[in-house]
Amino acid sequence: MHNKLNRRDFIKTTSITSLSVATIASGITLTTFAQRKNPVTNAKRWGMLVDTNKLTETDIDSMVDACQKEQGWGGEKYSIGNQKPTWIRKLKVKDKATGKISNLPLMCQHCEHPPCVDVCPTNASMRREDGIVLVDKHLCIGCRYCMMACPYDARSFVHENLTEQKEHMPRGKGTVESCTLCVHKVDNGEQPACVVRVNSEAVIFGDLYDPNSKINQTLKKIQSTQIRADLNLNTGVRYSGI
Amino acid sequence: MYHWPIIFLNLLLATTLAYATEQTSLGDEARMIQASGKKHHGSESLIRKMHPEFLLHKRDRTSREGVRTKKHSLKNCVYCHANKDKKTNQYYSVNKSGQFCSVCHQKVSVSIDCFACHRNTPSKGANNAQ
Repeated sequence: MHNKLNRRDFIKTTSITSLSVATIASGITLTTFAQRKNPVTNAKRWGMLVDTNKLTETDIDSMVDACQKEQGWGGEKYSIGNQKPTWIRKLKVKDKATGKISNLPLMCQHCEHPPCVDVCPTNASMRREDGIVLVDKHLCIGCRYCMMACPYDARSFVHENLTEQKEHMPRGKGTVESCTLCVHKVDNGEQPACVVRVNSEAVIFGDLYDPNSKINQTLKKIQSTQIRADLNLNTGVRYSGI
Repeated sequence: MYHWPIIFLNLLLATTLAYATEQTSLGDEARMIQASGKKHHGSESLIRKMHPEFLLHKRDRTSREGVRTKKHSLKNCVYCHANKDKKTNQYYSVNKSGQFCSVCHQKVSVSIDCFACHRNTPSKGANNAQ
């Protein structure tokens, strides 16, 4: 057995390696490209699972901070009190019987049957095919019916002129806004900013329909709940530990 | 008798001025692309006439269907057509008077609503011109 690489072997190995690399790389590129170029379909349903037992108060604060940094809200100068936009907030809930206190991040729950979409007079409030509930600000007239209809108080209204918005998140006076589940990142195959910031098992993001996704598998295993499940909205954001 | 040369000179001046305005407001990146002889998008007359339709179509495709391609994206318009203040190294807003969007829009008295929500300058480190 000689270890010296002869010409034939060298050509064989290099061509096999380069071919396999090219195949894998083109596959990856094509998938990413297809994701951005084709309209989203209802084959997917994006969702999030929040485990309040694993999530500390600091984690929730950092989620809020990540959201503000990513989407550019929170720096409004002239809005006071409850005029200030809140896309995601920390909520403290207490079990009256036992006194158990849980903290949870509350944002748009991305319902399957969203009341905000039902009431919108201009179809600005909409649910994308893949389950993400958004406001089309091109059509929003700022009537705020959706804010009244939302059982989670998840939407905010912009009360002042804004400049220097984020390029991926246009925001302007007179329109309603809420958590977009970082749709601009999701469309590029990335995870929402708050999930990335927490970076642990406490918050899982993924496709609820995909049996191989972590969120789907975890939801099969553990006990989870939807907030105000009695309203039958079938939310995309689920909680465990409350 | 002498009115022909005067008319000619006027026309020459007007054309030069119009060209100068177009050049100054074109935008830093766009000027570079033009100088390099590359074509970034279709003919100028097509874009001039059809850009509202292009943008309208694109906005629905993006915000409702999640199609995020660079063709006809407002972000890319702003990226190439924004001018920088040479002294402060800050971008002028594209809809500021005398800047790319305003040059035509003021002339035809059409207000632009895009920048009530959309950012009117390229963000720092933006490098998305394709």
